[in-house]
Amino acid sequence: MCNNAYIPIPMKVEKVLSENPDGSLRTFDLSFVNEEDKFDYMPGQFCEFSILGKGESPFGIASSPTEEGILKFTVNRTGSVTNEIHYLNVGDIVGIRGPLGNWYPLEKLKGKDVVIIGGGFAFTTLRSMLIYMLEHREDYGAITVIYGARNPDLLIYKDELAEWDKRDDLTLHLTIDTPVEGWNKHCGFVPTITEQVAPDPSAWAIVCGPPIMIKFTLPVLKKLGFDDKRIYTSLERRMKCGIGKCGRCGIGSKYVCIDGPVFSFEELKSIPDAF
Amino acid sequence: MLKIKKTKLNEFIDFLMKEYSVYAPVEHGKKTTFGKIESVFDIDHSIYNTTKSPKEVFFPQAEVLFKYSKDGLKVPERNEKPFALWGIRNCDTRSLKMLDSVFGDAHQHPEKDYFKDPYWKQKYDNCLVFNLACNEPLSTCFCHWFDGGPFDKVGSDVFVVETDNDYIMEGVSDKGKKFLETYDKAEKTDAKDTEKIEKLKTTADSYLAEKVDTKPVHDKLAKVWDEPIWDEISAKCINCGACTFVCPTCHCFDMDDEGKDGKGSRVRLWDSCMFQLFTKEASGHNPRGVAVQRVRQRIMHKYNYFKDNYEVDLCTGCGRCVTVCPVNLDIREVIKKVLEY
Repeated sequence: MCNNAYIPIPMKVEKVLSENPDGSLRTFDLSFVNEEDKFDYMPGQFCEFSILGKGESPFGIASSPTEEGILKFTVNRTGSVTNEIHYLNVGDIVGIRGPLGNWYPLEKLKGKDVVIIGGGFAFTTLRSMLIYMLEHREDYGAITVIYGARNPDLLIYKDELAEWDKRDDLTLHLTIDTPVEGWNKHCGFVPTITEQVAPDPSAWAIVCGPPIMIKFTLPVLKKLGFDDKRIYTSLERRMKCGIGKCGRCGIGSKYVCIDGPVFSFEELKSIPDAF
Repeated sequence: MLKIKKTKLNEFIDFLMKEYSVYAPVEHGKKTTFGKIESVFDIDHSIYNTTKSPKEVFFPQAEVLFKYSKDGLKVPERNEKPFALWGIRNCDTRSLKMLDSVFGDAHQHPEKDYFKDPYWKQKYDNCLVFNLACNEPLSTCFCHWFDGGPFDKVGSDVFVVETDNDYIMEGVSDKGKKFLETYDKAEKTDAKDTEKIEKLKTTADSYLAEKVDTKPVHDKLAKVWDEPIWDEISAKCINCGACTFVCPTCHCFDMDDEGKDGKGSRVRLWDSCMFQLFTKEASGHNPRGVAVQRVRQRIMHKYNYFKDNYEVDLCTGCGRCVTVCPVNLDIREVIKKVLEY
């Protein structure tokens, strides 16, 4: 049976990195076991990550297509599949189905200023996009990143954040929910900080985070004067098949898995239960 | 058209079984379903609407997608003849077309061939559907609300009418016509038979309850999405999901791994939007955590969302959900309520 979207391809764990002190967030670099399985993808797409015997879960691809040969996923340990993923060691083989869904509108963003707004461990596909844009830096205007988490520990990709902070072709605003000793960046929820930082509304905004963050950030962007057509967000739903059949990720007449996960706010306006 | 004496049906079914795996209404414990038959004697001719719909022939309640072990993955091979369905009613015939637009095609994304479901396609493509007319529709039937009817032929390969002594058959699709041509033991029909069919059709139509024009339901639903009407509609629903399991068009499924010690199968199983866990995410977030949201989802999907995508309601008026609902939540009443709101 060829062309069977339900069959995962084998991938090998190359690297495991703990993102925070309590170990609840881990990043896995995977490599293709078979040359013929290699696939192209774009920032914003996701995969179904299989642990045979446990099941599978969808995760956004955190690596950029410019990082050749690997797929990166950052996984929060929260359920039975993610628990099992956290037990993985270098050399283990896992199953991957993908790439699934659509991607961030990188073509449309060419020549434009871009504001990336992220929250918590949902920064994965935003990392993918940011790396991609930095790799093609001359294609884009000013890049502003607003990224928040409950506390400093829960910010992911800390080494890269430190590097990006030093760059002069990128403005980085980091925030945590409540003050912590030794923290000299912003304090407050992402929507509040977005309002304070007040990015120029002629830019395009890409928002990805927990549903509650998206829900409260959109009105702020509207207030700042951002056009609905220039606000994009990536939605998350429980998924199984990933190819628009199993019915679970439906929002209105759309499926997050095939019509999304990336939607413009313009599209979402007409969908009643998007958030 | 041609006809076969009822007493000679066994010859026809035997002939059909040479080329096809034949599925027909059969008793299954206290329930009835479409099961594989070995001979004409397995068919239960008294059944109108089987308890479980024939979707199960092509989309089983539990189906192995692949087996896994240390040696890798293996997709189960299918070494069966193509399927033929005998005695399927038009509501169910039309439901298969709807499911085919979900599983069998990549309609909304024609460029993505891998969106087609291979497990559905290998069973549904090449199947032969013998659609049996309903001489005495049930009180729960409302196919005529949704472009159907007891003597409707849409979607069938061969249309069959049961008269007092015969089965009169008419090839509808090319596939159906070709098959009938290969059968040389049938008798020719005459004007009397046509008359009989007309009479039966008139009688059948007289059994149907008053028709409701369902065309405005789609737009009306979009308007009432946020209205309190849903509290009223869902008040007595206990979220048991029985309606979704017997529904010939409901197709939501779960995928799960069954096995231990590194060996087992990935299985897909019918699931239901009526269940709270259906959309519950690992984080605890649940977009449809409240019962009223789930009832609304079911009604909206059937009469609004699906129509947006495929220009047809995801309901054929078979009435199974009306029959099985333990709290008498009648979907016809829901439709009327929405229209009157």
